Parts: sequence; structure tokens; C-alpha cells
Amino acid sequence: MSTLTPTSEDTRIYELCLLYPASLAQKDEQTLLKEVEEFFTEAGAKQVAKDVWGQRGLAYPIKGTMEGKIIIYYEEMDPGKIREIDQNLKIHKSVLRHLFVKPPKHYQILKYSELYEEWMKTRESVSQVRAREKEEKLKERVVKKAQRQAKVTADRAKTEAPKPGIQEDVLTEKLEKLISDENFDL
Amino acid sequence: MPAPFSPSAQKQRRPDPRTKKCSFCEKQARYIDYKDYPALKPYADYFGNIRKRYYTGVCLRHQKMLRTAIERARFMGMMAYRK
Repeated sequence: MSTLTPTSEDTRIYELCLLYPASLAQKDEQTLLKEVEEFFTEAGAKQVAKDVWGQRGLAYPIKGTMEGKIIIYYEEMDPGKIREIDQNLKIHKSVLRHLFVKPPKHYQILKYSELYEEWMKTRESVSQVRAREKEEKLKERVVKKAQRQAKVTADRAKTEAPKPGIQEDVLTEKLEKLISDENFDL
Repeated sequence: MPAPFSPSAQKQRRPDPRTKKCSFCEKQARYIDYKDYPALKPYADYFGNIRKRYYTGVCLRHQKMLRTAIERARFMGMMAYRK
């Protein structure tokens, strides 16, 4: 987490994104990286940061390869010498793509690994949110079911309980009437 | 009664323009990084085209930044030109 500010007025900070095939042999890879860093040292550049992304798949085949490795350099250098490096990289055999960018104002260097962790966290949160939603739905269902069951039992109690009570009352009244009735003979 | 196969019926539905907000403005984004693939991905459709501002609700300032970011990501093989 650091904003980029050049040390002197004559220099600027540039970002170089370098893409080369993943199928390169280790020796070739090392020589390539050495050469690229030599370009910078020849131009009198000062390395601010370096971020190795490692192997990753490409969205479309470039020169017949579907997998590449990406390295990002942050270099502070004289803007006049960028053309030379650009030309050199264009000519270079084992470079698939390269891109020089002047980082925008307030730009913060974030390492790929850190970014990746952040993405994974957001992803986790998404899955967690889904899990939570599921649980909430389940809970709602359980609560609704419980309410329904409570309602049913209450209804049953209402329908069942008063009936015998009334009947008993009626019965006792009738019995009392019968008993108190003097005209009644068996 | 509308015709069953009128072009307007097949058009993508647009959210209410009164409620649409620029998601980058909400985050107060000063720049859009071309290396941040998950941030760019929702603004490209299945075929790799950049989604219109009309549908996503991104403000013009951020849409321009988004365009350069996506074009750079495409050049570096991080995003597809065409699927």
C-alpha cells in the first residue's frame, strides 16, 4: 500500500506488464528476465517494485500458446528512454505481449497475491451469504411449520374441548331437570 | 395488444433509471485498474463485449476509464475479445 511519487521532476514512474509463454525452459526464462532488467539498467531506471504473477491461462491463444506468465515491473526512469525499451521488447522473440502504462494519480501498488486473497475473501463472503440465506429460509420454514402446527393443535383443542363441556353441562341440566321433575315416572 | 414477436419485447429490460447508480462512484474509485479482473468482469457480457452504460448505470467518467481498462486487459490476454 504505497502511492507512487517520483523522486525528481525529470523522472516518471512507469508500469511494465510483461507476458511470456509458460512453456519456456527455465534457462530461457532466466535469460529473458535478465535481458529485460538489463534494458532497464541501461536506461538508468530505478526499480520501485516488482510483482510476479506466475502462470495463468490466457483468454485467447497468442502465438499458439494458451498459457502465459506475467511479471509486472514498476520502474522510475527518464521518459525519453522508454521508446528504446519498447522497441527492444517488441523485437524480443520470447515476449508475447508487453504494455507500458503510466499509473494514474493516487495509484496504489497491490501485490497480485494480496489481491487474490481479497477476491477469495469476497467470494467466500458471497458463498457465506448464500449459506446464510439458506439457513434463514430453513429457519423461516421451521418457524412457519411450528406456527402451523401450533395453530392446528389450538384449533383441535378449541373444537374438541368445548364440545364435551357443553354436552356435560347440558347432560347435568337435563338430569337435574329429570330428577327434579315430579311427574316423571319410570 | 402488443405483437408477440415485436423487437421491443425481446429487448433487454432496463432497471428504473431513477434508481440506477454508478457503482464506481459509490466506491469513490479514482481509477480502474486493468489488472483487476474481478472488477471488470461484470461489465463484459458473455460474448466479451463491453456492457452499455444504459444497462449498467455507470457514469460517463467511469465508463471511459472502464473502456480503457478492459481494452488493456484484452490486449494482455486477461479478457477475451470475442467468445
